[in-house]
Amino acid sequence: MSTSSRTTVVMNYVLLTICAIVAIYPLIGVILASLYPTGPGSQPSGFSLPPTFEWHNYVTAWEQGKFASSFQTSFIVAAAMVPASVVLSVVAGYAFATMRFRGSQIIFWLFILGLIIPTEATIVPLYYDVRAMGLLDTYWALIILETSGEVAFGIFWMRAAFLAAPKSLLEAARIDGANSWQTLWRVMVPFARPAILTLTVLCFADSWNEFFLALVFTINHMTAPAGLASFSGRYTQDIALVSAGAVIVAIPILVVFVFFQREFLRGMLTGAVKG
Amino acid sequence: MADVRYTSVRKEFGEVVALEDLSLEIADGEFVVLVGPSGSGKTTALRLLAGLEAISQGEIRVGDRVVNRVAPQDRDIAMVFQDYALYPQMTVYDNLAFGLKMRKVPKPEIKQRVERAAGLLDIGELLERKPRALSGGQRQRVALGRALVREPAAFLMDEPLSNLDAKLRVQTRGEIKLLQRQVGTTTVYVTHDQVEAMTMGDRVAVMSDGKLEQVGDTRTVYEHPANVFVAGFIGSPGMTFATLGVSRNGGRMTFARGRMSLSVDPSGSTEPIPDEVTIGVRPEHAHIWRDGNNLVGPVEGTVTFVEMLGREALVGVSVGADQRFTVFADADTRISIGDPLSFGVERGRLYLFDPTDERALGVI
Repeated sequence: MSTSSRTTVVMNYVLLTICAIVAIYPLIGVILASLYPTGPGSQPSGFSLPPTFEWHNYVTAWEQGKFASSFQTSFIVAAAMVPASVVLSVVAGYAFATMRFRGSQIIFWLFILGLIIPTEATIVPLYYDVRAMGLLDTYWALIILETSGEVAFGIFWMRAAFLAAPKSLLEAARIDGANSWQTLWRVMVPFARPAILTLTVLCFADSWNEFFLALVFTINHMTAPAGLASFSGRYTQDIALVSAGAVIVAIPILVVFVFFQREFLRGMLTGAVKG
Repeated sequence: MADVRYTSVRKEFGEVVALEDLSLEIADGEFVVLVGPSGSGKTTALRLLAGLEAISQGEIRVGDRVVNRVAPQDRDIAMVFQDYALYPQMTVYDNLAFGLKMRKVPKPEIKQRVERAAGLLDIGELLERKPRALSGGQRQRVALGRALVREPAAFLMDEPLSNLDAKLRVQTRGEIKLLQRQVGTTTVYVTHDQVEAMTMGDRVAVMSDGKLEQVGDTRTVYEHPANVFVAGFIGSPGMTFATLGVSRNGGRMTFARGRMSLSVDPSGSTEPIPDEVTIGVRPEHAHIWRDGNNLVGPVEGTVTFVEMLGREALVGVSVGADQRFTVFADADTRISIGDPLSFGVERGRLYLFDPTDERALGVI
């Protein structure tokens, strides 16, 4: 290895290490802070080890933050929203990528508009619509609103994934006798599996992290992040318990990401690198 | 199996006419090659037959049925794609079986047909593998197998050898031809490679700019090209041309312009020859001039290039500004760029074309 290429490798490692520290340290800092003793005299810090490791903080945070209830809400909403969003995105993305129909461009850009307009801009009329439908403070309010928000991105994502498939693959399936439905499920979905799994992870993360909609549309069906917010309001002085609550809320996403890590990265790279 | 018939077929993509008035009949069991340069309309013609593009005008028949408005899956054709288009997530077995499953063929029959095709193509060992675990040649065989198991009325092949290396391409074209003879299925094969066309086709259809220039058996297309395009495209290296004035002296005819002059006793029949013609000379019919070697000539020029091919050498000769010819010479001929060189043309091998419409007038 020449001197210049060795320097490049060293620089790469230094840069990646710095990026990794910037990305990981906040998480480590929160975990360290969550293990400090609670109470008025304690001053938790994310930059030093706690004097004693207070693992019991997690039990206290779980009980006082009522996470049993908010986790249930988050899981129910995610269990309905993620499959609905993924299936709708796959079907619509396939149509936009492979079919020519009147108004397809306009409809596609209308969906993209959903990506551009922030939820905050439409929250007031949405509130009245949801109230008119009698869905205030129900799971359905969160499921429907989150799904409609997610498919805008999902369609954009899946259309790109299907466009990356060779056209001849679709044509071969047509000549082999597959109809559009069979072509989608037997040929295109397996082909786009990494992109679909990545979309699944992103949908789950979006659903799990939902805070604003839960705060506006529900009172008795708080999601985990919304539950964390109310928790931090009451115990704003107790940084150790807030940190423990934050770690608890983050665990499901970490588990899902670790589980799908390989497919997630492959999906993120689809189209970026010629295979 | 069935015959295939194009009748006055036209295809437009917006303003662009990709195919113009194509009429072509392909007999049951025949192997026809559509050959032409990029943009000649050959692939469009194939895709129209497959049903992957809608026809603008005219009629396509497969057997007795007009298929203009028939969906690809109902045309009873199978296609081999340039990039093979194998389903990446399926095993070789499932790739072969997919078309049969879609047609609800009973499982035992699927198994039997897949195994028979795998045996014919010698891919029995690969049935459990995924396409990514196959070499280019193996993928190509699987793509052929996928067409074969369907037992269709016609095979359509769109440059199926273009992704293979040169050696494998030569080997595989022989195998495809043999396979087609064994199964006897009507085959329409598209290629831009005239060597592939000449070695594989029962008949060759030469296309250019969306038009069918000539269709015929390989010998006819080579020996009696219909026009300058076909004469230049078919044959490797290609025919060389020069446009010359014509003068007649008794029975003798002289073609001359600038330094070049060629006197011929016309043999064979030609159409009436105008006062100016384009002569065409195939390199394999032009030889270095020696007294008594019974050639038409001599033509004197200057060597512009020498390409050693091993057994023989290809020599470029410039006679005048627009008069460049290529001549075959023995490999041991000592010759260099810039040397003077005289060559002659075999009797009965001088091609004449009308310089206005480039139509063939005959061979003398």
